[in-house]
Amino acid sequence: MQAIKVENLSKTFRVKRKEKGMKGSIRAILHPQTEEIRAVERISFEVEEGEMLAFIGPNGAGKSTTIKMLTGILYPDGGKVQVLGIDPTKKRKQLAYRIGTVFGQKEQLWTHLTPYDNFQFFGAIYDIPDGEVQRRIGELAERFELSSFINTPVRNLSLGQRIRCEFAASLIHRPSVLFLDEPTIGLDPVVKESVRSLIRQMNEELHTTVFLTSHDVGDIEKLCSRMIIVNAGKIVLDDSMEHLHRSGSSLENTIMEIYKSEGRTAIS
Amino acid sequence: MRKYAVIYRSVLMENLQYAANIAMGFFAYFVFIFIFIRLWEYIYRTPEEVIAGYTKAQMIWYVMMTEMIWFGSNAGAAARQVTMDIRSGNIAYLMNKPYHYTWYILAKYTGEWSIRLPMYAGLAAVIGAWMVGPVPRFRIVTLPAMILCLILGITINAVFKICISLISFWIEDANPFQWLYDKLILVVGTMFPVEIFPAALQPVFKLTPIYTVCYGPAKLIVDFSADKWVEIVLAQALYLAAGCAFMFLVYRKGVRKLYVNGG
Repeated sequence: MQAIKVENLSKTFRVKRKEKGMKGSIRAILHPQTEEIRAVERISFEVEEGEMLAFIGPNGAGKSTTIKMLTGILYPDGGKVQVLGIDPTKKRKQLAYRIGTVFGQKEQLWTHLTPYDNFQFFGAIYDIPDGEVQRRIGELAERFELSSFINTPVRNLSLGQRIRCEFAASLIHRPSVLFLDEPTIGLDPVVKESVRSLIRQMNEELHTTVFLTSHDVGDIEKLCSRMIIVNAGKIVLDDSMEHLHRSGSSLENTIMEIYKSEGRTAIS
Repeated sequence: MRKYAVIYRSVLMENLQYAANIAMGFFAYFVFIFIFIRLWEYIYRTPEEVIAGYTKAQMIWYVMMTEMIWFGSNAGAAARQVTMDIRSGNIAYLMNKPYHYTWYILAKYTGEWSIRLPMYAGLAAVIGAWMVGPVPRFRIVTLPAMILCLILGITINAVFKICISLISFWIEDANPFQWLYDKLILVVGTMFPVEIFPAALQPVFKLTPIYTVCYGPAKLIVDFSADKWVEIVLAQALYLAAGCAFMFLVYRKGVRKLYVNGG
């Protein structure tokens, strides 16, 4: 069964344009000018339940915009989206109960609270009964080895510890689909490896569908079974990792060649 | 509602660590009140004299209460956070949780003022008892009615501030509008009771948030009457219903225009 179904999804942003210097600033007040930027242009794809998909592309290719439309944060200008059979634009709140998100560059934890208080907080947000929250906190603490710092304020944790807590917080409600936006950014190789093994474990044990964007070839190679490359808002490759590996070239080289041949067009 | 109670509790836990920082604002409150005490002592020839329906003690307590509301509810969630969330795109990461963003902000704001306001109320009680004397005609049995009115007033203030902040969905910066609203409340609403202003202006002020946010609660504290309480609480209920309806409408429209920097 499909966890995600996208048909001809499009999103256009209107961005202000200003000429350089003071003259340009004054002109921008008198004659404001805007430019239309097509961040995502009629893309279509499907993701099966339990699949781990890498959704990659150069900066500004439209990856994050796509994730934000899939999670109901941004409204598409055209096309259809279904995540777990739910239209995110119409039933964002209903969908929120069934998906999890980890944005490597954004904290969702409350930094002045401890991970334990944060997990309790997220448990309540997702309407999980107190007793069940306690049970899940214990389970997550064991799985992610959080016990030694579960009562330390988040602001005092190392980046690696914090990311593990971010994962645990996003899993407290046992989401069926997990959206990961550069989850290993800024981590050292050891912590990166531990985060990857956590993602793998989650996928194997809970059958969680993973939608991953990352610039790290290691993340893609070690986790995903399929890769979609987007550039300038369009899909330029959608293939299985197995098939890509059979081509003989390393994954990094393959990605680089595609980026180069597509001209690495960015939206901003 | 449990989730909003948990948000409230989490903010309370977070802000308890900043109680000392909040107390730093006491100095500004004291200076403000000291100036007004001296001003009204100069204006009133005798303590029994009545100006615009207020004795000297009532007038000073009125200012102390409105300033207590101003300082005690001047927390960041309703204004600064909403504007920053929209401008920075951070709102995107708060919206994908199963709560309504505006209720989330209101719960946070309530958590913030729940610590600030009692601290300023304690300070006001100490300064008042020391420099002015007891609140005239104050009866302890009316306290719950006054507290309800106070909470409604602060919540209305928050709803209005959120509405103004939500304009950030359309314009670059809603802070100038926030500044205008704050100054309207501070200058017209907190320093003098509505009755001091010319008769022609008084009905106009009664139509502004000043009446429900500052004037109503402070008036009841210095001169409580059941009729006045009913009149003010009814006005507050209307204001709150209309304000919330407007807030949800603006949010629903605005969210469709959300542009998140960096995709």
